[in-house]
Amino acid sequence: MLIRTIIVVLISLMPIGAFAMHPEAQYGGTEEISNLDVLVTRYSDETCKECHEEIYAEWKESYHSQSVVHSIGGLRNFIVHGVEKGWNAEITKEHLMRCMDCHAPQLQDASKSLIRDVAELIKKTVDAQDEDAKEKLAKLNVNCVICHNTKVSIEKNLKGKPKPGVYYGPKGKSTTWLKKAGFSATRAHGTERSAAVTSALFCGQCHGMYTPPDGDIIGCNTLYGSYQDAYRGNGGTETCQDCHMRAKNRGHRFPGAYEKDIVKDGIGVDAQVIGLNIKPGTWIPTIIARVSLTNKAGHRIPDG
Amino acid sequence: MVLDVTAKTDRGETVPIGKKEYWEIGLDLDGNHRYGAWQIKEIVDLTLPPRKTVQERFMAELPEGTKSADVDITVTYHPSKKITLDVFKETRTVTF
Repeated sequence: MLIRTIIVVLISLMPIGAFAMHPEAQYGGTEEISNLDVLVTRYSDETCKECHEEIYAEWKESYHSQSVVHSIGGLRNFIVHGVEKGWNAEITKEHLMRCMDCHAPQLQDASKSLIRDVAELIKKTVDAQDEDAKEKLAKLNVNCVICHNTKVSIEKNLKGKPKPGVYYGPKGKSTTWLKKAGFSATRAHGTERSAAVTSALFCGQCHGMYTPPDGDIIGCNTLYGSYQDAYRGNGGTETCQDCHMRAKNRGHRFPGAYEKDIVKDGIGVDAQVIGLNIKPGTWIPTIIARVSLTNKAGHRIPDG
Repeated sequence: MVLDVTAKTDRGETVPIGKKEYWEIGLDLDGNHRYGAWQIKEIVDLTLPPRKTVQERFMAELPEGTKSADVDITVTYHPSKKITLDVFKETRTVTF
């Protein structure tokens, strides 16, 4: 009761702007946006960290928070070598969304001119080592809004599109500290349960072979296919989230191929070495090494 | 990912015992190796499959007169060209 009273007092003392700035106020617009900062604001996660500070800090360390700038070389190569040289075409929204549907889904709301601007920023970042361009692109990433709203519905025909201003999670409950205080839902945003967000398929939307609307196939990585066919197909039962989030309390950092700890967890090594002399009479010192490598992960190793 | 077994003899020679690389080769529809995601349509899978153990066996002769050798077994993981993660490293000493 005491906690609840304190929270009620604190909330009543908060400036109105604290809630007015929440993404639900901006998110959900349908008009195309031509300014990068306006687009970023529509999908802003700035207010998420006010209540979910720890999770936000974890995410900030993740590669999801760098989903454009960390992959900048590949994005640039697609624009320059794929679209411009290979297809002899100018970049279009359809072209760029082949990559950005996963690397920056926010761009689904971008106008044609903003798409061209973003493509130029990508080229400037790589070709001219332009730090200002890189800084602008760093605002595009796979943030809280993208996973907990934009990409959450993998059964749109059955369950409809995500609702603007509602954040979907595995429990659909308010945050622990508010629940303890007796609140059933946060004032900051709506919360709903999503079974999809706990499934491997949710991650597989982007971490697998991708077929864009034009029917072409993009082999960015093949991880989900390996998970489904070789891991689940051989009796594996764990999900991406089990190993990359829940195990060792890895949380929203989603460590993967770039972190030694989780790579080591996925590979078992057993080595035996013997020395012997072969070829009687000549007696050549010889090494025989046997090394067993066990893939303990839920997908092929390595995989992109 | 690379498995490497190398011996260093008591006389200072370095002798490669064996090496194996595990990776995916991305192919275009003409069967050529490609790096661009938009170009890759199939893969040749030289990786470690999940839930499986792969056993490698290497045999190599050392220079005559070698009395002992330190054999390094290393497994390194390369998520990018610039990054190497040391997954496993052990040294076994053998005598003759």
